[in-house]
Amino acid sequence: MFGFGQRWSSRTWIARLCAAAWISSAAWAATFGTVVQTGGEASDLALDTPRGVLYIANFTANRIDVMSLATNQIVQHINVGPHPASISLSPNDRWLLVALYGNNADPTPPANSLTLIDLAHGNAQSNFPIPDPPLAVAFGYTNMALVVTSKNYIEFDPFFGILNPLDTIADVTAGTLPVPPVSFPPDITGSSVTVTGDGHKAYGMVSATSTVTFHYDFGSRTISPGGVVLQSGTLGPRVVSTNHDGTLSMAGWIQVDANDVFVNYINQSDNEFSVGTTLFDTNRQLIYAQLPVTKGEAPTLQVLNEFTFAPVDRLKLPENTTGKSVLSADINTMYALSESGILVLPVGNLMGTPRITSPSQSLLFLANLCDASATSQTITITDPGGGSTPFTISSPSAGVTVSPSSANTPATITVTVDPAAFTSHGTTEVDLSISSNVAVNVIGSQRVLVNRADPDQKGTILNVPGVLTQILGDPSRDRYYVLREDNNTVLLFNASNNTQIGTLLTLNSPATLAITNDGKHLLIGHKQSQTILVYDLDSLALVSYIPTSDGGGQEARSLAVSNGQVLAATVDYQNQGHVESIDLVNGVAMQLPSLGVWANLLDTDSVATPSPDGSKILIATSSGNLFVYDASVDTFTYSRNDFGALSGAYAASANNFLVSSHLLDSGLVLSSELSSTAGSTSGFLFTSNGIVRTLAPDSASPGVIERVDPATGLSSGTTRTIEAPLLSTGVFDKSVFTKTLIAVPNHNYYLSLSTSGLMVLPWNFDAFAASPTITSVVSAADGASPPASGGLVSIFGQDLSRANLAESGFPLPTVLGQTCVLLGTTKIPLLYVSPTQINAQIPYEASGAEQMSVRMQDGVSPIFNFTVLPASPVVFTNGTAGPWTNVPLVYRSSANGLLVTAANPVHWQDTLTIELAGMGLTSPPVADGAAAPDSPPSEVVITPTVTLGGVNLTVLSAALVPGQVGVYTVEVSVPKDTPQGLNVPLTVAQAGVSQTVDVRVVQ
Amino acid sequence: MKLSRILVVGAALGMVPAMWAQRWEFGGGVGGSFYTSRDVTNGATSASASIETNVAGSLWLDNSNGNKWGGEVRFDYERGDLKLSQGSTQATFGADTYAMHYDFQYHFTPVGSKVRPFVAAGAGVKFYHGIGPETVFQPLAQYALLTKATETRPMISLGAGVKWQISHAMAFRIEVHDYLTSVPKDVFVPNVGSSFGGWFNNIVPMAGISYVF
Repeated sequence: MFGFGQRWSSRTWIARLCAAAWISSAAWAATFGTVVQTGGEASDLALDTPRGVLYIANFTANRIDVMSLATNQIVQHINVGPHPASISLSPNDRWLLVALYGNNADPTPPANSLTLIDLAHGNAQSNFPIPDPPLAVAFGYTNMALVVTSKNYIEFDPFFGILNPLDTIADVTAGTLPVPPVSFPPDITGSSVTVTGDGHKAYGMVSATSTVTFHYDFGSRTISPGGVVLQSGTLGPRVVSTNHDGTLSMAGWIQVDANDVFVNYINQSDNEFSVGTTLFDTNRQLIYAQLPVTKGEAPTLQVLNEFTFAPVDRLKLPENTTGKSVLSADINTMYALSESGILVLPVGNLMGTPRITSPSQSLLFLANLCDASATSQTITITDPGGGSTPFTISSPSAGVTVSPSSANTPATITVTVDPAAFTSHGTTEVDLSISSNVAVNVIGSQRVLVNRADPDQKGTILNVPGVLTQILGDPSRDRYYVLREDNNTVLLFNASNNTQIGTLLTLNSPATLAITNDGKHLLIGHKQSQTILVYDLDSLALVSYIPTSDGGGQEARSLAVSNGQVLAATVDYQNQGHVESIDLVNGVAMQLPSLGVWANLLDTDSVATPSPDGSKILIATSSGNLFVYDASVDTFTYSRNDFGALSGAYAASANNFLVSSHLLDSGLVLSSELSSTAGSTSGFLFTSNGIVRTLAPDSASPGVIERVDPATGLSSGTTRTIEAPLLSTGVFDKSVFTKTLIAVPNHNYYLSLSTSGLMVLPWNFDAFAASPTITSVVSAADGASPPASGGLVSIFGQDLSRANLAESGFPLPTVLGQTCVLLGTTKIPLLYVSPTQINAQIPYEASGAEQMSVRMQDGVSPIFNFTVLPASPVVFTNGTAGPWTNVPLVYRSSANGLLVTAANPVHWQDTLTIELAGMGLTSPPVADGAAAPDSPPSEVVITPTVTLGGVNLTVLSAALVPGQVGVYTVEVSVPKDTPQGLNVPLTVAQAGVSQTVDVRVVQ
Repeated sequence: MKLSRILVVGAALGMVPAMWAQRWEFGGGVGGSFYTSRDVTNGATSASASIETNVAGSLWLDNSNGNKWGGEVRFDYERGDLKLSQGSTQATFGADTYAMHYDFQYHFTPVGSKVRPFVAAGAGVKFYHGIGPETVFQPLAQYALLTKATETRPMISLGAGVKWQISHAMAFRIEVHDYLTSVPKDVFVPNVGSSFGGWFNNIVPMAGISYVF
């Protein structure tokens, strides 16, 4: 069992994401669900599906209100004794057991009892006085009930009206009546019990001044501890819930698994007993929860992933929930206790409920040599249910305008940015506000990023949405991993082209990443989960999760893997930091008894980082303590506090350490103080390519990357970056430390977390930046033939781009990685950019003598003169067949559909499909950069001729390939008299230009 | 044209003993098909080309005159994939063969004997038929390409066996034949720079039964 306490933290992120949620509930223009008033404080509810009613314990009106599920109307009152606090319906639907809370203070005598209502016999009532105040009742599958009082666990037999004591209960207090004004039933009883869907187990939370949780097994009639015992503070809302089989349970804002591991929670600073609810929807793998982060927060129902707590939606409620919720048998309706009585929430009809969503991707505007004037992009605002929902959208910045400013979903909104309105030469964030009087969800803002870099600023922005908190390289797999805190994921990127290739799920508020020494596993620690996830990096399968609670509810917030131990800087339930050792073999984490000769007591905000060779681990705390763990002697060998407070970048090597601007020797003695005139430190690396660091004055300004001489501490090669590296990471319990920079030596670049997501910085960032140069422009199909109108081309040269980037979405962009290609004055669509090659599409209207230039951050290339032919058919030769490469893309479409090769030759009477580029204009025409439509087909205007071994083939069709840009197919039939051979020339000719590939032909 | 001429000659030869015919047999048999291999060379290296061992079946119409000479017209069918191998690397391609031929037979005992050992020699044609599914890549393709095609080759037939008269109208025989053709280069197509030649020996042991009339 673990103690757990409340924790206060800065949550400015929530204000940014959901500013609307902080206004009063009266301000919600539209809300989800309807309120059914009960005329008193509702304290519990029970669903009676066969009778089509919901029983509601009315604590203050001393009755059971019966609500029709069909009409949501109170149709009957069953009067009972004073203060029904808890009710439960037997599985055979015969008995309704009512706990009457009569813990009266003197002079009024106590009046605690149970009332059994026989629903099958005219609601006949039997009363059973008990000495102690009953806190909760719950029937199990045996049709026997568990009764929890302030002193005992009791089994109640409704057949014979017998009460059998099961066990005693300690450390539980119950409020005495009367209570102060504005006290709600959960404040008085402090209790909640729920039964699993199969009726075999109960899970409960009791006590008005502290917290005791328990499990009860109806089969074995045994009570066991429930994993959560609150030693200080309070835990609200006072409600428990479980999934169908009890493997996951919620107690207040804490989720525990079957082994009582705190797998997820949503930390609250104001633990009001009477505000909030939780409910599992096992079929949809969701949790519906109102868990206010602060007192007075507008009532909001969070829809969370059942396992990861990743947010799915946020719905505006008409009033606060106040305790238990139940889900209807058809899982379409949630009934929740609320301030007025009952909230009826149609959770199964979310798709029919008006909601508004905007794209998760930020809009990035890059003002540079390619785009210096006002430019526009579009976003589509939708209702996830497909409905027509009105909304308005507005910009807080004069430099960003939207049109139209109001519309009905689905709507395309044009966002126009005038770079001249922005003075910063870094990236400025502008949040477009979206509101709706009809939508019931909390609508997030749409982020617009405006970058106005000067030519000297280095780097390429990768627009990655979300709250990115840490980056970790995996050179052996040519990947890197980025921790995204806002949706509990780890993003996997291919390091060769910086494209995202996968996503790993985490538990709530992932905080730290590390790779094990054998390189096989990824470790993920969390801020709102007492676990470390272990993923297999080859299969990307979750292997296990390691509980980190040893020592008192600890969270692993910073992991470091050494040649000796795997250490984690942790935070316990009392907000004290410690160091835990992670035993990966046995899957356990243990708080170290001491850090060598020093006490194992750190600040809440502490970090751990290993040296690249694994020989040392540096631990730094925000109050200035530093520790060195030496793997060779398996203990802590140094501890210093010479700076009072520490923050910013931190790093370790075998012989040096760095925190903020303090460069330390192997004994943690200051060897040099680095200059901090460029701003705060963000990232720092000891690499084989030298020591580099990143700094920035603020998030909207350009950053700086520079080299550091470890001997002198002097900086060199100081270069402005295109935008600022992150100066703080995360949104929940934000750390003052940052670890934002990695090296990608396989591809010679650095990568930094930055304002827009990620920033690619060249390996030799301080080298002379040469302007781009074009050396040739040829067909992309074979890398040699002349280009044609509408054709795909490869542009070869030097310094064409600072990064390798590919684009697969349509229409193709005209600026990629801040590189653009101009044909005359027209920017042409781009598929791929790299320092030595660009793949692009020649516009259809281009023909004859043309002039091309490449523009990127470092300058503009000299004009390259070349000729665009009306047509220049070129068969793609990028096919592969086993080890055979450069195979022409000719398919036996009427036979086996496979590539023609020596092993799969052309046969007489085959129909062949040939893929080509450069066949010129089509009818109907297709816009530059746009994918060809399915229907009608875009047929080539200049009909080609095709011969095989000199024999004319009948051309069946020649058109653009639907869904692709600049790719054509020609379909031909092969007659019987075609010459046979191993290398028979297949020639495609068009407008006097031909190309020949050899194919094998047999009879 | 060449095939039809061979068939006409074969048919004409079959007519010669028929003119003296006193005894006919019509029968069939099953057995195994075993091929020798030939090398396909490309520069200093080579791969072994052959046809995989499989089942064989034959139908025959046999005639014997009063003395020890006779003859029979035969149709043979064999399964057996085309195979190209080099060390542990191997490529195969589905195939079967058909053959039509006429064999002269010399029996060591006269007609009417219960046991009649014999030797046979003749000629005909064999059809190699590549029927496997074509794929984009075939191992050892630098030597030869196993191809979906039909190829006709002249064939020499040599054989020996024993016939038993097991009832008035039934005869049982065991025999072994060696069918020789030049290597079929339309189904084993040597790739550029490769050379492939020589003869395939196809050894076919078989047991069969005939209706005697």
